[in-house]
Amino acid sequence: MRTAGLATSRMLLFVPALAFCLLPLSARAPQAALDLDGKTVDPIKASRGKIAVLIFVSTDCPISNRYAPLLQHMNEAYSTKTKFWLVYPDKRATAQEIANHLKQFHYSISPLRDPDHSLVKLAKAATTPEAAVFDAQGRLLYHGRIDNWYESPARSRTAATTHELHDVLEAATNGKPTPLASAPAVGCYISDLE
Amino acid sequence: MTVSAKRIGLAFLFFAIAAMAFAQAHAKSKPEEEHRVTFNRDLAPIVFRACAPCHHPGEAGPFSLLTYGDLKSHARQIADVTQKRIMPPWLPEPGEFKFNDDLHLSPEEIALFQKWVEADMPEGPPADLPIAPKFNPGWHLGQPDLILHADSSFEVPASGSDVYWNFVFRVPLEKTRWIKAIEIRPGERRLVHHANLIVDRSESARRQEKSPGSGFPGMELQIESESFDPDGHFLFWKPGTIPEPVPQGMALRLDPGNDLVLNTHLQPSGKAVKIQPAIGIYFTNELATKFPLLLQLENDRKLDIPPGEQNFVVTDEFALPEPVSLLAIYPHAHYLGRDMLARAKFQNGETKTLLHISQWNLNWQAVFTYTTPVDLPAGTTVSMRYTYDNSEKNIANPNTPPQRVLAGNRATDEMAHLWLQVLPQSPTTESHDPRRVLQEALAHHHVENNPDNFEAHYNLAAMLQARGVLSQSIEHYQRALALRPGDAVVENALGSAFFSANDLPLAIVHLSAAAKARPDYFDSQYNLGLALATSGQFPAAIEHLRAASKLHPQDADAEANLGGALAANGDTQEAIAHLRRALQLNPQHALARENLDAVLKDAKP
Repeated sequence: MRTAGLATSRMLLFVPALAFCLLPLSARAPQAALDLDGKTVDPIKASRGKIAVLIFVSTDCPISNRYAPLLQHMNEAYSTKTKFWLVYPDKRATAQEIANHLKQFHYSISPLRDPDHSLVKLAKAATTPEAAVFDAQGRLLYHGRIDNWYESPARSRTAATTHELHDVLEAATNGKPTPLASAPAVGCYISDLE
Repeated sequence: MTVSAKRIGLAFLFFAIAAMAFAQAHAKSKPEEEHRVTFNRDLAPIVFRACAPCHHPGEAGPFSLLTYGDLKSHARQIADVTQKRIMPPWLPEPGEFKFNDDLHLSPEEIALFQKWVEADMPEGPPADLPIAPKFNPGWHLGQPDLILHADSSFEVPASGSDVYWNFVFRVPLEKTRWIKAIEIRPGERRLVHHANLIVDRSESARRQEKSPGSGFPGMELQIESESFDPDGHFLFWKPGTIPEPVPQGMALRLDPGNDLVLNTHLQPSGKAVKIQPAIGIYFTNELATKFPLLLQLENDRKLDIPPGEQNFVVTDEFALPEPVSLLAIYPHAHYLGRDMLARAKFQNGETKTLLHISQWNLNWQAVFTYTTPVDLPAGTTVSMRYTYDNSEKNIANPNTPPQRVLAGNRATDEMAHLWLQVLPQSPTTESHDPRRVLQEALAHHHVENNPDNFEAHYNLAAMLQARGVLSQSIEHYQRALALRPGDAVVENALGSAFFSANDLPLAIVHLSAAAKARPDYFDSQYNLGLALATSGQFPAAIEHLRAASKLHPQDADAEANLGGALAANGDTQEAIAHLRRALQLNPQHALARENLDAVLKDAKP
């Protein structure tokens, strides 16, 4: 009994120290993520004045994967004025798994790991696949679906009839106000990946 | 000292609080434990039954759902898709009749997933966890007796709309075999939504291949069949399917020269993937003693759906002339189908629902097998009522904006089909074959429904011919021919009907037309040779029988008849060679034996 009592009291004494420890952590740059070598990358800064387009994806979400050819195509079509990033919010996805995923789906978009969901929070992302568009000053111009291909995880159109990400990029790359700020995405929940 | 005293004080305080909390927890632990939803006790049994069959390594599910960790890392998604009834995929509404492998979740089961997420996904005591299902990574029924691989693979592109591809498997058989089970391994399972295996007894699918073994595109398959021997089996694959041997006595016949055709529905996955299916066949020595058959209700002729129409209804009904046991049901429509209702109206006026689907989804189509066969006495009317949505609100609509849609085989066309697998209850006797009665009644029904439909007339004619009602058979073949002039299959059938009716001149006219339309059509060459020989035109008969035996070198009948015609034409030595060849192929061939004896006797000086 005595030993247990002492142990609990020691735990209690540590609490303030732990709380103190959290402060510098939360003060860390919120848009920090890691490249596949484990180096910290701030995608907004690293986009060097271009519009930053974050695409949240996961390796095992079929809806996310079905978008690969379209995303790759958009990355090429907008390459002069934008910088695309593929963000993997699943902390279990290793650098090697991500590298394999890029190869399998013929992605040439720069990958980022976001294990502590700092980019997820910054982009207000909830789903894979989902897009977030930032201007050069780091302001969030749009977050949400790529288009309306899927209406629910079980129902898709033969082809999308609205193209939100395309419309936003057309406006943003031409210096015009973006037509909408957000639209709910359909896919796999990022909240499950915490 | 002070510090130490303070520590002890804190320890006491904490201990006191902990003790109180413990006392409180203990006081109400029982009811709380009962209400707390855990993975091990509450969810694992549901997950193992309804999720794991597809969600395990090597199967179609994109990730595994076998462990607590698997569930936890998809918890909110699972709670959402179960509540919306997106998963597990199961189309029929719960009803009076139960189906095998029912994946339907009850409202109580769905609520458990919600509560589990609300409770922050507790795992629960390990002792509560049931034994996880074991999935065989190889062939489910053990090593097959015969494994067939598709000759060529098919590459599903990375993107684009769904693809329908047919693989033709040539079965290397030297004699008739009986099949008790077939396992379909479609290849990369995540891309294959469903697959149907069809027995092709007439090489009609092969002819659609650009080169042998290349396969061919197409959502719907049209296979010619022998005049009367319909196959009464569904050979259907969907994700998670575990093959089962056919019920006792219902083995499937496979003859030399038969092909198996696998009709697949494939969905692009974001990367190009090659599909090369395989089929495992399990033989049995038990011949079939029970012969189920497939009855098709349909009303494609009524399918003319205006753009924007949200509630287009198509119905069909058929009164059963024979008592049957309904074994399984397979509804079929394309992307505009929404609600499907199949019912049985009994003679006492009572109506029962055989199947109701309120949210049709082509991607999850399936054959539904009744756990207990449904008794349908003679006089019962089976009916279908399908509702189609050709508006923009139907997001599966392949046309944007919506277009007028008619019946057809393409994905953008529609269909209104309901297949019933039934087993006649009356015994087959020499004077009464319940399968024929059912088939013929249904064929009459289709001709009434579709007076301008080629298949309806052709099928009715074939059944009448099989029963020896030749004048009516000829009439319906002629109507089929008028609808599709020059068609080799109907020319051949009409010629053979005239032949059976002893009208040799007209038989020769139509069989010649068939052989001319398609010189590589064995049946027409053989029948024409036979008709010419029967009418004494031996040189011409020899020419066509030679063509037939060239097309099917293993056919004893063709060899025997060629030998006979040669003998009649005085080509004795060659006749002997072919008659011997016939007996080599079939030592019990009576006609070849008789002719050979006669020729050898005459040949002796």
